[in-house]
Amino acid sequence: MKTNPNIRVLLFAAPALLVFIAIKLVPVILGMGYSLTNWNGIDPSWRYVGIDNFVEIFTRDAHFWTAMVFTIRYSLFVVILLNVLALGLALAIESQRRTRGLFRTIFYLPNMISMIIGGYMWNFIFTQVVYHFSDNWGWMFFDQSWIGDPTRSFYAILTVAVWGGAGYLMVIYIAALQSVPQVLQEAATIDGAGSIRRFFSVTLPMIKQAFTICLFISLNNAFQVFDVVFALTGGGPGRSTQVVAINIYEEAFARSNRFGYATAKSTVLFAVLLAVTAVQLWIMKRREEEL
Amino acid sequence: MKKTAIVAVMVILLAAVAYGGGRTEASQAAPADRNVTLNVMMSFPRFTEQMEAYFDQFREKMLAERGIDVTIVLEMPSSEQYNNILQTRLSSNDAPDLFTLHASADLPTYQKAGYLADLSDQPLAATLYPNVRETVSIDGKVYAVPFESTVWGYLYNKDIFEAAGLEPADTLDEMKRVVEVLKANGHTPFLLAFQEQWVPQLMTALALGGKVSGHVPDWVERMYANNGSYREVEDVLDIIELIMANGTPRAMETGSEQGAANFANGRAAMFVQGTWSAESILSVNPNIRIGVGALPVNNDPSCTMVNLATTTSLAVYSRTPEREMALALANYILDQEASSALYESLKFNPVATVHQFDQFPWAEDASAYVAAGRAYRDLVLPPAVTDEQGKLLQSLYVNQIDREDFIRIMDQTFAAANSAR
Repeated sequence: MKTNPNIRVLLFAAPALLVFIAIKLVPVILGMGYSLTNWNGIDPSWRYVGIDNFVEIFTRDAHFWTAMVFTIRYSLFVVILLNVLALGLALAIESQRRTRGLFRTIFYLPNMISMIIGGYMWNFIFTQVVYHFSDNWGWMFFDQSWIGDPTRSFYAILTVAVWGGAGYLMVIYIAALQSVPQVLQEAATIDGAGSIRRFFSVTLPMIKQAFTICLFISLNNAFQVFDVVFALTGGGPGRSTQVVAINIYEEAFARSNRFGYATAKSTVLFAVLLAVTAVQLWIMKRREEEL
Repeated sequence: MKKTAIVAVMVILLAAVAYGGGRTEASQAAPADRNVTLNVMMSFPRFTEQMEAYFDQFREKMLAERGIDVTIVLEMPSSEQYNNILQTRLSSNDAPDLFTLHASADLPTYQKAGYLADLSDQPLAATLYPNVRETVSIDGKVYAVPFESTVWGYLYNKDIFEAAGLEPADTLDEMKRVVEVLKANGHTPFLLAFQEQWVPQLMTALALGGKVSGHVPDWVERMYANNGSYREVEDVLDIIELIMANGTPRAMETGSEQGAANFANGRAAMFVQGTWSAESILSVNPNIRIGVGALPVNNDPSCTMVNLATTTSLAVYSRTPEREMALALANYILDQEASSALYESLKFNPVATVHQFDQFPWAEDASAYVAAGRAYRDLVLPPAVTDEQGKLLQSLYVNQIDREDFIRIMDQTFAAANSAR
């Protein structure tokens, strides 16, 4: 008996789909429901407040928008740095014959550590280890506050985020580089193209899909960043490194137990993220078609 | 005859078995009539070992006295995550039978939500010291067993103070002199550990508590009515700026535990930190002599006060299916025979008449302020306001804001917290 191919696909996807619905979709929908309430997360009862929470976010919550601006700035820097570094590492590793496996493992390793642990590890390095260099060896460049200074703490966060995230994107770029047909490279070489010309005219157009994927992943992760910042600076000093996810977390748990209001903020973040990634995908797809 | 002999032998054998069985039973614990499982959640993982041992004692007592085999499942999430986990458990109908709460910050909210059992008619309530009982009561009813009842101000190193011929200051000018003398003697006056915002926030807690209690007792009430300003209590920033200007370097890189270790090692003479850190300090340097002083806010000694508060307390879930046993455990926390040893091992202050042990030297210092009427009860501020104070003090320390910004932002934050209620 021949089964309908659509049903077959659905059957294969069903287990993952069920898990996705249970732990992603249902909470998102419930969260959107709570965003219209004044629930405090403790009391079993709550009151429907309509769009009051959203009005407050857009008219009176300066901290949320400061955090949003910081998140956008962070995302811009981290997406560029991550992708440039990951592609650079992928190219460098692919050009090695003998040590390729070793370097691939080394650069992928940070990805094996939970970023919250990585963040605390770097917190220790920035607060205890770097001063060792200045105090004992006279390397005065290190004698400054890396996570306690509003400006430098931004760079400290970027460093850790790039350290933790580059390995994963690198693997995607390596896979893409390996799929570039060797004959094209050879033909370009015979035509007299140098290594830089080959990279821009052959390699780059051939790995455009990897770009789309890596930009999508890095942008998504950057907008939702929580763990690195939480472990490294906690959003401080003051609010100087507070990202949106920490602002939401504090609203729900640390400041006023305003769960309803915090879920309204999450909904806004969701909408912003949806818009940004939709635009990014649209642009990248058009670029792919042009290339 | 033969039959009689057989019956006699059987009787003897049965008697022997019965006797032996009886002996065996007597040598073991009585068999349990029923089993009960209690889920307990507490917020101080550093005391897991002591609490487990104490619960074992309770288990033995229940088995011996009531024939009930109690299994206690103890959860100790870290204090940072504790409230999140507890809230999730309560709202998902998976509440622990007993759980710890911050007596002044959390107790009213959870009581209002109906999660707390009334303990007023339990034996434990009758044993509480009156001033401690107040800290775990709402509308005259007791809702929790006080664990950590603290009288706290700033900590100072008695050896350094005595060597420099100093006494804890009573006014801001005296504190300035203490700072100068300490510096002249080669000591850093204050230990600064500002990495976590709750530590610098302790400075506002003490300074604001003293200032409000001494000069503007209706300030909190008026702030809730949007009829007050931080401008009225602006002088709390004088002592805070003095501390920041005369502290150890790298404050933003120093966490609370590291700060306690640095203080224990004599890196500074004073540390604005509660007596709850005494255990951490003594674990690094058991020989340090810690004193407690009241933080002066201005030149009026009536504003120089210590804080009298119950921080951690243990509540019973109002809808626990094991109510009888949960209440028995709550009462056992203040058991006539066992409780003293527990509280002493945890380095907590006595909270009830059942506690028969000497106070620690630092607690005696602090109690002297209480006896002189120089103690204030925790100011009940919205959590968003307390949180913002800590954040702004970090910003003040790294020169991101100034005093005027502090006053303006705090007024805005209080107003926002009021409108969100």
